[in-house]
Amino acid sequence: MSDARVIDTGDTPARPSAATAPAIGRGLRVPGRGRNAAAAPVRFTFDGRTITGRAGDTLAAALLADGIHLVGRSFKYHRPRGILSAGSEEPNALVGTDRGDGRYEPNTRATTAEIFEGFRASSQNRWPSLRHDVGAVNDSLYMLFSAGFYYKTFMWPKSFWNTVYEPLIRGAAGLGAPPTERDPDSYAARHAHCDLLVVGAGAAGLAAALAGARGGAKVILVDEQAEAGGWLLSEPEVTIDGRTAWTWLADTLRTLAAMPNVTVLNRTTAIGYYHQNFVGLCQRLTDHLAQVPEGAPRERLWKVRAKQVVLAQGAIEKPLVFAGNDRPGVMLAGAARTYLNRYGVRVGDRAVVVTAHDAAWAAAFDLARAGTTVPLIVDIRPVVGGDLLAQARSLGIETLCGGTVTDTRGRLRVSAVRVNPVDAAGRAGGGRWVACDALLMSGGWTPSLHLFSHTGGKLVWDEADQVFLPGRATEACRCAGAGTGRFGLAAALADGAAAGAAAAVDAGHPAETPAFAVQGEGSMAGTACRDLPTDRNGAFAKAFVDFQNDVLAKDIRLAVREGFRSVEHIKRYTTNGMATDQGKTSNINGLQIAADALGRAAPSVGLTTFRPPYTPTTFGAFAGYNRGRLFEVTRRTPIDAWAAERGAVYEPVSLWRRARYFPQPGEDMHAAVARECRAVRAGVGLFDASTLGKIEIVGPDAATFMNRMYTNAWTKLEPGRCRYGLLLGEDGFIRDDGVIGRMAPDRFHVTTTTGGAARVLTTMEDYLQTEWPDLNVWLTSTTEQWAVIAVQGPSARAVIEPLVEGIDLAPGRFPHMAVAEGRICGVPTRLFRVSFTGELGFEVNVPSRYGRAVWEAIHEAGRAHGIVPYGTETMHVLRAEKGYIIVGQDTDGTLTPADAGLDWAIGKAKPDFVGKRSLARPDMHRPDRKQLVGLLTQDPNVVLEEGAQIVAERDGPIPRTMIGHVTSAYWSEALGRSIALAVVAGGKSLQGRTVYVPMPDAVHAATVGGTAFLDPENTRLAV
Amino acid sequence: MIQARMIQEWKTLAGTPIPEVAGRLSVALAPDCARFSLRVRPDDRAALDAPLGIALPDRIGGVAVGAGGHALCLGPDEWSLLLPAEAAAGLGERLGAAVTVPFSLVDVGHREVGIAVSGPAATLALSSLCALDLDAMPAGSATRTILDRAQAVLIKHDAEQYRIEVWQSFADHVWTLLEVVSREIALDL
Repeated sequence: MSDARVIDTGDTPARPSAATAPAIGRGLRVPGRGRNAAAAPVRFTFDGRTITGRAGDTLAAALLADGIHLVGRSFKYHRPRGILSAGSEEPNALVGTDRGDGRYEPNTRATTAEIFEGFRASSQNRWPSLRHDVGAVNDSLYMLFSAGFYYKTFMWPKSFWNTVYEPLIRGAAGLGAPPTERDPDSYAARHAHCDLLVVGAGAAGLAAALAGARGGAKVILVDEQAEAGGWLLSEPEVTIDGRTAWTWLADTLRTLAAMPNVTVLNRTTAIGYYHQNFVGLCQRLTDHLAQVPEGAPRERLWKVRAKQVVLAQGAIEKPLVFAGNDRPGVMLAGAARTYLNRYGVRVGDRAVVVTAHDAAWAAAFDLARAGTTVPLIVDIRPVVGGDLLAQARSLGIETLCGGTVTDTRGRLRVSAVRVNPVDAAGRAGGGRWVACDALLMSGGWTPSLHLFSHTGGKLVWDEADQVFLPGRATEACRCAGAGTGRFGLAAALADGAAAGAAAAVDAGHPAETPAFAVQGEGSMAGTACRDLPTDRNGAFAKAFVDFQNDVLAKDIRLAVREGFRSVEHIKRYTTNGMATDQGKTSNINGLQIAADALGRAAPSVGLTTFRPPYTPTTFGAFAGYNRGRLFEVTRRTPIDAWAAERGAVYEPVSLWRRARYFPQPGEDMHAAVARECRAVRAGVGLFDASTLGKIEIVGPDAATFMNRMYTNAWTKLEPGRCRYGLLLGEDGFIRDDGVIGRMAPDRFHVTTTTGGAARVLTTMEDYLQTEWPDLNVWLTSTTEQWAVIAVQGPSARAVIEPLVEGIDLAPGRFPHMAVAEGRICGVPTRLFRVSFTGELGFEVNVPSRYGRAVWEAIHEAGRAHGIVPYGTETMHVLRAEKGYIIVGQDTDGTLTPADAGLDWAIGKAKPDFVGKRSLARPDMHRPDRKQLVGLLTQDPNVVLEEGAQIVAERDGPIPRTMIGHVTSAYWSEALGRSIALAVVAGGKSLQGRTVYVPMPDAVHAATVGGTAFLDPENTRLAV
Repeated sequence: MIQARMIQEWKTLAGTPIPEVAGRLSVALAPDCARFSLRVRPDDRAALDAPLGIALPDRIGGVAVGAGGHALCLGPDEWSLLLPAEAAAGLGERLGAAVTVPFSLVDVGHREVGIAVSGPAATLALSSLCALDLDAMPAGSATRTILDRAQAVLIKHDAEQYRIEVWQSFADHVWTLLEVVSREIALDL
């Protein structure tokens, strides 16, 4: 530190005189200059202050025109920050934007946000105000916050991590505040297919689209900016084929617009490049509009499948790394040129330029001609082209070749820059201060490889230009223009045309490569550099590499000193490149510094992986239409609306919603379910079973197929009879069950569980296609063909009998487990006499569009019998009282038929069925397998918790051996007590024994018994 | 015995019309019809042509016109028949009497809802729901596909006329999505 001070005494402090002090807000907009020179004025607010910009401005352009550079505070040190760039790579100028009606978005880049009348923006990460921020104390304490500081500083005492440090760090972290209101916007999505997708509508992309489209190829050209043109928009003096850049651009866009096979999408970012040329695009539709049409989507996610892709993403200018390179007013030279030529905005009145590249000289010349004083151009290179020096001389600009910048001054905006010569050995000499209100820098250009990198395409290091370039592609994709390191408009046009033509040919269309004549282009020579040489102690320099994450050059060197070698580790230790900008401006600088510190070549250190999305993308864009009512498919039965009209409470069952119970006024679930249960046991209840999966199995080999799939024997089942069917997996465990009716010798009506319907059908189809293709049998899903109305209870027959035609329901003629075809209420029915309640029951199947009317007719007819509609909860209670299992609730994929007490359903004489062989394994017969049992709590009022564990002893050391768990537990209205089903190890041998169920309130004792709690002799079914 | 009241058919989407986008897009319930899933081995297929009155297409995706309706080939041994109600009556018995080859005919008339999507913007509207390249789909073809999250059969009569056949309980999701997409197309954004 003292070292630095000694040298500093020789400096000439700069005190900006009144003449050179920036005249804030006056005359920064150059009359007649810019794309939007004639555009209407637009008023917006920044931190509450009303500012007038021009239609077509980005927020950054409008602020700069108003003399505002200070727009935010940095992440860690809360340093004042300005606008670094003019594009989506911006790491600094992140603001909150408010488009009204709850449309607030944090961390919007001021360089991409378009202003409109009434637009509101606010700065972030500052308190109480942007100019006076308490958090800036961190800046003075910066030596505490070195790389990995949170691993070191907050280590002790250990207990503080969870309680103090982590909450503190999390509280301090983050830039903008998340929105507090529900996003009022809607989002759209669209699939598209094309021969050629061109990403980037700069010179290379336009040339590629032209060359590709002329032969008829279907082309989509996308650009993330508000208008197409890329760098052409920033360099209007160049001529292409004798026309000025902007005339050529307008002509080209007109040509493309006139071609029906071309789609040009502005404000559309290619966010990710996935397998088989699948590219995600996010199109911003309304963020730039003052009046958003009612119901208009905010963004649209395009999912494009392209035969060929041309990536013409261009290049991103690199900052230079020197002390104080982050002050407001320090910006990329190319950005300054963009603001001048595209928006007509001078970024300052007195701009010093520091560069390693010729391009910044052009920015200096443009600004000087537009009225900005350029006192000095510092070039890192000892030698630059004579024509540049001559031009500088003619404009009265002092030049320093072989120089460096070692510090800047200015609390809220740069006011001076310290400039030093560098000797042949690379040592910086004594510095002098030069007053300025803007400092433009250029470290050369980094080809944008993000999308190419998403594909896993290989990157190769170009030693001459010190850049990574796209290597061998893994997808049908080409890179063109500056993204391949071929800089300049002439190169971009030629490269783009060649890539577009070649891509069109590969996509099967004829193409020629147009040629373009470019004149007036500046030179694009430069050198690459790491952190700039300084005469001061670099260990104390606040030379920023990653602006958004506040990573200093010294942090990267420290990481290397502490033993990190891989760029991936250095990235994570320092957080370089980990911010929302994904290191667009910092990765290569960080790599160069790490390579220098390691004494290795850059390619051996490597580049971190780029991951989608290319720029921050809203969750809304990814969700698309799938929010609110369209969040997920909600399947409703034909009777659902009837239930809704009667206030049914629903529960989701797979994608269906099912009525769970029908509360009467004042009833809670317990009361409603108890009433519904009583009604079914004493009279009659009505239940919508339409969601049951149904499969029609038809063909001469239907019975053979059924025999092989299900455990039961089907050959002898007569048409007109039903049977409970049990389906296993190859492992012998229960997969599904349901009642199956034989409608004809060659036709079965199979029912499955609601949730298992699709799975059972695909399993069956799988066996049929791969194992038994010889069988003449076919499967058709009829789940939605039939509405199913379960009429259950002692009065069930009396209710439906008057409605049924063609079926004799007399007990002797239509016994339990019979099925018949006839008519009900005049419409065709498949009538099943089945019961999932233990009562006399019918399941009325009618074509689904008749479901509601037949339901209403039965309900009407049942009034005299006190009919009550009931829901799934009551259905669960009623079946549990009978010990009927629910697959997936009482089974968990590890229960065999014997475990579940269903071995009676196995056709033992059958030669084979799915799972039979596994049932013969010795393990399947172990006596201590978990087996399904009934549990009766000693306190009849205690309803056990489903899922509660079961232990053998009340007391004992913890942890105790858990011997099973409760699978179903309900209050049984019929029994006036609680009941439960459980799986317990060796349960069948524990009959009559007491087990214990620890629950949060107490340990409950329960007696093991059978699973049929009610009417085990099934007398109620035989009526 | 039988209740005198008329049994009303309940239709999933009735009563929620989607406003037409003038001259560009119309989404409406398709006229109802009888529907059957017909399964037969490819080698036996031709035996059914005469009794059906339709030459069953032999190419997956093929659509044949006949008997006042359509036959769609959805798989190597799978056809979907969309027929006028009068052609459907007793069809199974008639086929069974006419042919000796094994086959499966299952009435799925109430399983599905037909939605007609038509107009110059029909393809664009459907591209919001469907990942297929609909421009490349031949006119007069059909395919089983996914519309957003719902399985459906999509029939392309020509570049401006499509018909969706979707299961009842998924129809509301597809319909609501088409409603949203119609609004979006009306806004022309």
